[in-house]
Amino acid sequence: MVWGAWICLLSPLVAACAITVGGTHLSRRAAGWLATSSCVVAFAGAVASFVGLLTHTASDRQFISTAWTWISGGRYQSGLSVIVDPLSVFMMLIVAGVGGLIVWYSIGYMDGDDEERRYFAYMALFVFSMLLLVQSGNLILLLAGWGMVGLSSYLLIGYWHQRPTAVAAAKKAFVMNAIGDATMALALFLLIQQGNSLEFGVLGGDFSSTVANLVALGLLGGAVAKSAQIPLHTWLPDAMEGPTPVSALIHAATMVTAGVYLIVRTHAIFEQAPKVADVAAGLGAATLLVAGLIALVQVDIKRVIAYSTMSQIGYMFVGAGIGSYPNAMFHLMTHAFFKALLFMTAGIVIHALTDEQDIRKMGGLRQLAPKTYWAFLVGSLALVGIFPFAGFFSKDSILAAAMAKGGAFGYILWAAGLAGTFLTGLYTFRLLFVVFWGEPSAFVREHFHPLGRDVVAFSLAIPVGILGVLSVVGGWIQFSPWWHPVETWLQTVAEPIVSPASWQEWTSIALSLLLGLTGIGVAWAIYGAHRVAVPRIAWAQRTLEHKFYFDEAYDALFYAPAVFLANFLRRGVEQPLIADSGRDLGDDTRDLGGIVARAQTGLVRTYALAIATGVAVLAIVFVIVK
Amino acid sequence: MIALLGPEIAWYLGVAAFLFATGAFGVLLRRNPLIVLLSLEIMLNGANLALIGFSRNLGDGGGQIFALAVMAVAASEVVVGLGLVVALNRKRITLDVDRLNTLRG
Repeated sequence: MVWGAWICLLSPLVAACAITVGGTHLSRRAAGWLATSSCVVAFAGAVASFVGLLTHTASDRQFISTAWTWISGGRYQSGLSVIVDPLSVFMMLIVAGVGGLIVWYSIGYMDGDDEERRYFAYMALFVFSMLLLVQSGNLILLLAGWGMVGLSSYLLIGYWHQRPTAVAAAKKAFVMNAIGDATMALALFLLIQQGNSLEFGVLGGDFSSTVANLVALGLLGGAVAKSAQIPLHTWLPDAMEGPTPVSALIHAATMVTAGVYLIVRTHAIFEQAPKVADVAAGLGAATLLVAGLIALVQVDIKRVIAYSTMSQIGYMFVGAGIGSYPNAMFHLMTHAFFKALLFMTAGIVIHALTDEQDIRKMGGLRQLAPKTYWAFLVGSLALVGIFPFAGFFSKDSILAAAMAKGGAFGYILWAAGLAGTFLTGLYTFRLLFVVFWGEPSAFVREHFHPLGRDVVAFSLAIPVGILGVLSVVGGWIQFSPWWHPVETWLQTVAEPIVSPASWQEWTSIALSLLLGLTGIGVAWAIYGAHRVAVPRIAWAQRTLEHKFYFDEAYDALFYAPAVFLANFLRRGVEQPLIADSGRDLGDDTRDLGGIVARAQTGLVRTYALAIATGVAVLAIVFVIVK
Repeated sequence: MIALLGPEIAWYLGVAAFLFATGAFGVLLRRNPLIVLLSLEIMLNGANLALIGFSRNLGDGGGQIFALAVMAVAASEVVVGLGLVVALNRKRITLDVDRLNTLRG
């Protein structure tokens, strides 16, 4: 059981090291299979842990295995330990399972790329980092995994390092994440000072409300940065510069869900700081609306899906913020299925159209790639939450929980979530209709080339097929009005603090289904059937196309003043004080040397006279002084 | 101390000073490098005479050792100096120290 967890954790690391060390001794294909099989082994390890936990009674399902004492200073000690409990096993299964499928898919997608081995080493490293994050047995190791996820995302987003935009996007993601890492580290420092421990148990300790609030805020900062929630969300759309499977990996199975995991894992401190938990839910609600609106006007197929990711993570934040942890985790799981599916289908489209991502050039792909169309349709229906697809089961229970929280705030969250459902239907099916419906555009007719029937095509198709099935059936494991195995499973780790009544469940289900279908209907009327012209409101469109001016605002608030200050310091301090002083020192020395050089006549007799005179003068001085 | 025959130390020093001054003026005033070298030798010998005079006066052999060392150095110096003079002459350079002034700053 704990051995399963260790295998799960270490096998991707071994693969990453082996690919790195193996270098050109490994063929490119072998590197891909090595990374994939390491994920399969990791998944097997996760399954072994899962089965192991099942053999224990519910109250006895927490095991911490410590390899050795990692950090020890004063009374403080941390071990290099992994935790095996329902929550970590839940995440391990998702990360290793979906991650493995994505790495497998990469074998087809990255085929023929110049540096495939580097790619697969990074991918394996990413999976390892994420597994470290979810398996770490204490907060300090979790922070290490947190930072490593940031690092590997930086490496993968900037994988095509010859593209300046990719490098810029990678840097942006890293900087944004570093802000979160810093706030999280500060929270941990405070915890060490107050509780003298970073085990998860310390979070339930007795803290003053100020301390609890500060710690929760710090952790929330980390979660917001990693999960791309307002106000630290701007890196995520830019991260689409990476290869498509990377987008799938970052946005589906790993990384962005880490924030949700963190809140659920540390819920004890959030329960002591209910205001901060409300902030988390509020940020989630704001993000799900803002991202949904922005997604309406994006023209890059991957960016639309990226904004939908932000939006869906917003739902999870709402769920985690109001204390409905199992529902947040459940949505995390179904989202991993259908979002990976959507990204990978989009990847197939992009692949088939020779790397074109602009949906304005696409159209009519349904006739040319019917299977891809069906996969995308399944993913879209699951994303919108239409019965009986996966999203239906998970999204609605979050809404019901918001309703159950009650009060004005609860209902605001609920209303935002419902509005988000409408937006989801609208932007998802806008994408679907524009890309797949209608007649094939001139660009598509010219560039479309179908997949062959070789290994490449199978590597692309089989993972998509598996995820397609999961996107349908994955949600059936929990239907909150009637059966809730996920909630039962997570009971001991994260017990929900809201429990919706039956009427709240059914109201939310009915309304969100209705609004989702309305969204799809509106999208159909505008983009599918072209019965209604695309509404044009100039200022609204401008605002959305500028993504609510977040980037511009950050430019004005942080970048511009920093550049101004730097320029001022360069002109006002560095130039006169450092650069000029060096130059002046050199100039003056040379001038002085010029004066002294005149004494050097080159006449030996002058020198001799000078020496003789000097000696005579010294002799006289000595005689007198004596 | 053993009583020694001969003139007082002052006489020795007088001769030594005279030799040294002669040499020094030679170095300062003459322009022929050969003569300059010669004058240098005279200066060294003046110094040697002073060393030996003191050595005898104080009954300490150290001065004589020093004088011997000076002679050895002087011999080497003459070898180098004369070598230079020969080299200058071979290159048909006028033997005048005032014209050897390429080291002027």
